[in-house]
Amino acid sequence: MMAIAILLPVAAGLLILAIRNYYARNVVVVATSIALIVNSVLLSINGPFTYTPDGVNWGLFITILDYAILLFYLYIGFTLRNWLVVIFAFTQLIPLAYFEFIMKAHLELSPAFVVDHLSLVMTLIISIIGSLICIFALRYMYDHEHHAHLTKSRQSRFLFWLVLFLGAMNGLVFANNLFWLYFFWEVTTLCCYQLISHDRTQEAINNAARALWMNATGGTAFIFAIIYLYATQGGSSALSVQTLIGGGMQASVVLLPVALLCYTGFTKAAQMPFQSWLLGAMVAPTPVSALLHSSTMVKAGVYLVLRLAPAFAGTYLSIAIAVTGAFTFFATSALAVSQTTGKRVLAYSTIANLGLIIACAGINTPLSVAAAILLIIFHAISKGLLFLCAGTIEHQIWSREIEDMEGLAAKAPLTTLITAVGILSMFLPPFGMLLGKWIALEAAYMVPLAAIFFVLASTLTIVFWTKWLGRLLQVLPKLGWPMEKLSLSYSAPLWTLLVGIFAVGIGVGPIYQNFLLDATHNVVSGNQIFVIGWNNLVLTSASFIQRDILGIFPIWPLYLILVVALLLPLLLIGLKPTELRPVYLCGEQVGGTDTDEWSAEADQKTKFLLGGYYFQSSLGEKKVNPWANTIAIVLLVIMIGCGVIVIC
Amino acid sequence: MWGDRHMLEQFILVIATLVGAPLAGGLLFGIDRKITARLQGRYGPPVIQPFYDFFKLLGKEHIAVSRLQFIWIYGYLVFMVVSLIFLVLKSDILLLVFLLGFAGVSLVLGGFSTKSPYAHFGANRELLQIMAYEPVLLLFAIGIYAQNGSFLISEIFKQDKPLLFSLWPLFLAVLYVLTIKMRKSPFDIATSHHGHQEIVKGVTTEYSGPYFALFHLAEWYEIVLLLGIISLFWANPLWVGILIALVAFLLELLVDNIAARMTARWMVRLSWSIGLLLGVINIAYIYLTKGVS
Repeated sequence: MMAIAILLPVAAGLLILAIRNYYARNVVVVATSIALIVNSVLLSINGPFTYTPDGVNWGLFITILDYAILLFYLYIGFTLRNWLVVIFAFTQLIPLAYFEFIMKAHLELSPAFVVDHLSLVMTLIISIIGSLICIFALRYMYDHEHHAHLTKSRQSRFLFWLVLFLGAMNGLVFANNLFWLYFFWEVTTLCCYQLISHDRTQEAINNAARALWMNATGGTAFIFAIIYLYATQGGSSALSVQTLIGGGMQASVVLLPVALLCYTGFTKAAQMPFQSWLLGAMVAPTPVSALLHSSTMVKAGVYLVLRLAPAFAGTYLSIAIAVTGAFTFFATSALAVSQTTGKRVLAYSTIANLGLIIACAGINTPLSVAAAILLIIFHAISKGLLFLCAGTIEHQIWSREIEDMEGLAAKAPLTTLITAVGILSMFLPPFGMLLGKWIALEAAYMVPLAAIFFVLASTLTIVFWTKWLGRLLQVLPKLGWPMEKLSLSYSAPLWTLLVGIFAVGIGVGPIYQNFLLDATHNVVSGNQIFVIGWNNLVLTSASFIQRDILGIFPIWPLYLILVVALLLPLLLIGLKPTELRPVYLCGEQVGGTDTDEWSAEADQKTKFLLGGYYFQSSLGEKKVNPWANTIAIVLLVIMIGCGVIVIC
Repeated sequence: MWGDRHMLEQFILVIATLVGAPLAGGLLFGIDRKITARLQGRYGPPVIQPFYDFFKLLGKEHIAVSRLQFIWIYGYLVFMVVSLIFLVLKSDILLLVFLLGFAGVSLVLGGFSTKSPYAHFGANRELLQIMAYEPVLLLFAIGIYAQNGSFLISEIFKQDKPLLFSLWPLFLAVLYVLTIKMRKSPFDIATSHHGHQEIVKGVTTEYSGPYFALFHLAEWYEIVLLLGIISLFWANPLWVGILIALVAFLLELLVDNIAARMTARWMVRLSWSIGLLLGVINIAYIYLTKGVS
């Protein structure tokens, strides 16, 4: 079954590449998606296992593919004359060759794959949400090419990389052999490059190249970590993830490679100062963004840091990671406030939440790790939904600007409703994201500086989401909004994710107890969350002798309150046309309720315009980026320094 | 903790709060108007004038400018009430702050869901107010955790030593928040109780009749909630805390009458500098002296 999770997308991708017919291709994609979803659920039911493939010489096979990918980077670098890509292709090629020819030829390990509960959580996210996004992409890419008046369809190629991505991600979360993990890591970087550059515009290619070299620095750190581990620990067994986190090795020796691997995770998770590649990735068609932000790519970064958390528990490195992640959470939330483009707000919010997850891994208590896993899940669902909403909106108004979305509630009520729920689910109780943030804040006092960043970032989060949602809702006093029609390929993933927000959110108690608790135990021992009585989540203090209660979150009651507060008024309270009034304009109104004109100077009829606040002068990118990036670089140096100091 | 007897007590407590809080809140606003009038050399309306106003508003015609308005004003009211219930049930203070945040966001979205310039100004400013007070309240919750090792309000009542002794810098910061939340000068920025606003009634401009009455109702619950939060600083015995809260209330009235309205930008800057500094120093001091409990 594990082979299906990794190889089926590869096979399906190749098949898609061969098929030229729109409908036949759709059937293949939908069938693959359903197979992946069923497969991931079956895997989770069967539970953890280990596996080592035999027969073919897989080690050699993977090594050859590694070289192929790196040589392809070189080719890209030379054709684009992008020397950064060339440099970082060489910094990977040369150490790789050194390792391969001088140290150890195509290293093999047993077990090559270790699938534990954390991997299963990840594969569920990748398979379910990733598949839904692939289905969404079918119709989206059709509309996209239709709008762009392309003569030759490139949808097959697009879907190939999209589906392949899911396979590589599954491999990444299953791999135990660090060398193989590195391979899957590079495949995701490659897929990412191909998808960002898909539209072949100059901007797309430039941004894709930036994503490539930034991630290639991470790949470089990865390969150096492998070499260092192998050289100091002597032996293949040192390159097993399970040995690395099992505590079998001397902490002082392990810390530097772990710090390097965390750096790799930071590049992939687009943490400051690497945020620009993920922002640049916005030029790609929206399904790509949805995939990169929710279930793949960036989640690989936080997965790696979380996976390595036991290896740096109780060290200064752990605190450094907590503070670095928390700083990114704060700085990118501030930047999100100043953004005028919907997708850039989403992008900054993603980076911010990834920073929060990484900070939780750095805080490294049972509570914060549980928060990190919950945040990974809920963020994947909500952000996946929001990107698909952004794509749907874009194909209705052909714009990504928030100001152009003014009054969308009247033009596309259904899309607006779904988007509004998606936005609310990102930052308000009782939704899962807030639940995760609440647990994170209750755990954050261990690293007070991180706690303070959390507080500031949470506040800024409220500001930028409310601002955006407010623009969607701004409507004229008019009744009878016609409901828009959405293609099934749009609406099916949207509704599934919407239901997912509520299903996982309401059922989080039992889900945590029966499944996520085991995943938490893959990272840290002990438990601090209990589900008691009427579905209350009860947090307890870290001391195991006396279980003092830290906080209580009543889940079902709060969802009930949400229904009473918002849903019932929406459904029950009607408004008659006779009850409508124009807005207050000091009596200078022109005409009836559905005009937005007033009598200006000399009774000239003038349309009035309203706009949002964007705080460009205080929180704009130009203002914030220089100092925020500097602080982020200093923090990164400190983080890696924590690994170096231990050796000296 | 989850016994039947306990449940019954809690149920009675919730009902008592639902009924009692608006009575107390309305009365407080009546006192506010009376005292303010006296300070300004006027006679002022009777103390129960807010109730007269409330019922008068309820009897008015249903009119609106957008269907979305109702949803958010109900959201504002319901989440305000729920926050108060969290307080009287002595639940989680951090979650309470988040729920209060939902109430605030609802009011802002209510202003945004009309194409009205005045409501928009008000909503934007209300959002800035949230930006100003939310971090202080969150730090306050963390400060309580730093001191007590728990976010539960019930834990505060178990301590013999009042929070005021260890959290007095945060007390000052929360007083500042009280001024913002009570919409008193110098922070009556998003909407005001006095008719001297350049943005008419700000965020509530487009609410009228029964829906405006709901807004007032929510405000009554809010004032009780805020004074309740202040009284947590001296929870044992609670009457001292309530006394402190009432003194703080009177102090706000005084400040309201001697201060001029400031700009929203000034408010945010002040809050993010002095307000946050007070909270951060307070928490850092506890962390350094007590460590992680």
